[in-house]
Amino acid sequence: MKRYAYYLSCINESMTKEVDRSIELWQKELGVEFVKLHEGTCCGGSNLDYVSPKHFALVNARNIALAEKMGLDLIVSCNTCLMTIRTAKKKLDESPELKKEVNEILKKEGLEYRGTSDVRHLLWVLVDDVGLDTIRQKVKVPLKNYRIAPFYGCHILRPSTVLGHDNPVDPSSLDQLIEALGGQTIPYKHKNRCCGFHTLLVAEQESLNVAAEALQEAIEAKADFIVTPCPLCHTSLDGYQAKALKNAGIESSIPVFHISEMVGLALGYSAKQLGIKRHIVG
Amino acid sequence: MTVPTDQHKELKKDVTFRIFRFNPQVDSKPYFDDYTIPVERGITVLRSLNYIKEHIDASISFRAFCQAGICGSCGMRINSLSQLACTTQVWDVLSKSKEHGVIKVEPLRNLPLIKDLIVDMDPLVGKMKHYSNWVDSTMPEASMGKKEFLISEQEFLRYDKATDCILCASCVSECSILRVNKEYVSPAVLLKSFRMNVDSRDAIHEQRLAELVKDHGVWDCTHCYRCQETCVKSIPIMDAIHGIREDAIESRGMKDTSGSKHAEAFMSDIEKKGKLVEATLPIRTNGVLWTLQNLLPMAVKMIIKRRTPPPPPLVKSAKGIKIFREMFREMTEHVKQDHKSHKK
Repeated sequence: MKRYAYYLSCINESMTKEVDRSIELWQKELGVEFVKLHEGTCCGGSNLDYVSPKHFALVNARNIALAEKMGLDLIVSCNTCLMTIRTAKKKLDESPELKKEVNEILKKEGLEYRGTSDVRHLLWVLVDDVGLDTIRQKVKVPLKNYRIAPFYGCHILRPSTVLGHDNPVDPSSLDQLIEALGGQTIPYKHKNRCCGFHTLLVAEQESLNVAAEALQEAIEAKADFIVTPCPLCHTSLDGYQAKALKNAGIESSIPVFHISEMVGLALGYSAKQLGIKRHIVG
Repeated sequence: MTVPTDQHKELKKDVTFRIFRFNPQVDSKPYFDDYTIPVERGITVLRSLNYIKEHIDASISFRAFCQAGICGSCGMRINSLSQLACTTQVWDVLSKSKEHGVIKVEPLRNLPLIKDLIVDMDPLVGKMKHYSNWVDSTMPEASMGKKEFLISEQEFLRYDKATDCILCASCVSECSILRVNKEYVSPAVLLKSFRMNVDSRDAIHEQRLAELVKDHGVWDCTHCYRCQETCVKSIPIMDAIHGIREDAIESRGMKDTSGSKHAEAFMSDIEKKGKLVEATLPIRTNGVLWTLQNLLPMAVKMIIKRRTPPPPPLVKSAKGIKIFREMFREMTEHVKQDHKSHKK
């Protein structure tokens, strides 16, 4: 059983609770254990870094240091948390002065940021650590009748200097996971494009139009559902779907799944168990 | 026939360039023309286009000048990615082509098309003017040309990378927000605005910033990082965009716009609870009226699906919040000290 420290993303604790719930169902079956980091705090959601770069460094040095104390890698299931914490890690690793300043403060809690734990996405753990062969062997209900649109989202791909797992122009890890689960990926131009989430409250029309384009392509390609490794993309594409499509004059809809739910379905769990019924689009 | 296992080992081969064609004076709609030419290893896409124009079809239009990645004229989409034709090797893009042996060449996106691969750069120039993207000097006119206007190396390093921009518009072509709203300021314009606003010789920082925080400005960027990823000069454009936001918050306060209020919510929630209080985020960003008008129907659906974020009192603080808060506030003192010494 491989153990990891599991970062609790704010959105997965409030709106998209089904993500953590579905991971809990299947983690042991796939030989992994995610130890929840209850002391972890909000990463700053791609905003704290410019509001206060030093608080941003402190908060995320602490998030990583908590995992380091356990001697485990930090696993994240939200793209923006991933990009944000990895950005902080890069800054800390490149600046001995910043690291020293932050560590002086972290001493209070008996913590130290050393840079020894990696920060990785759940998708990367599934593809690289659990492995596609193991996943293939564990599948009970292959998703063979489904045409699936893989929506990677931005912050698992870009900036590639911070992420570096997939080729941001033509990513493949999510496609590989879908195929290992027996599903069929469709050619999907929006696979590496944006969902518009980060400006939903600031430039709503623009965000809805960005989301509508991604939904429209999947609908026109006759995908059965979209799958995304990011709960923020899910919120934009599922939660705001009706509004986005109405706005764009499109009368249709398409379900959007989290990767954790898609894995759960292939492992034989029901939609109810996985929390899929909590989605806005049925 | 033997099939080479590594196409990089080949020295010459036939390559098809599938070129976007549209002449609005003649054509009713755009189309693609295929041109197959022998290409040697080491040849760029621009040299291939020049060859096609010279030897096969003189009617193809594209813009190019320096042929060395300096002037920024030959920005175009090569196999769907915005880049310079003059610095893009045929062999490199060929290895990633979806259709074997075919390279698709299209004009940049998000700018009006003039003909074939040529787009109209005027909207971009117009935005550069709108945001006053030049140094409006603090030096009295009488002194100009008589003495040097020096800046420190430390200051220059802040915008050194931004000065590498050659205005090729690749970032403009890839921008997610421009795709849906052509009024949006554009990443290249924000980069230039950042460069001007951190220049101590400039006199109109406040005026430029006031324009940047308005609608279609700096707060409309959706953090997709496509601009930065495609930049032909590897400029960290998002750092510049975040730099303008940091400046806006410092100079104009956190209650200035919906963008700054939204950002402030993260800072204050993390300090208080270590967690984001999502339920009140729309209200804190845009007020009660906007929230009721825009989010009520969705809120009803979310209640039915038991998907609403918990109200503030029910958001559990992160474990160990007391000591976290102390540390957070200690860092606040550090930041205050930094500002004091910066002002000195």
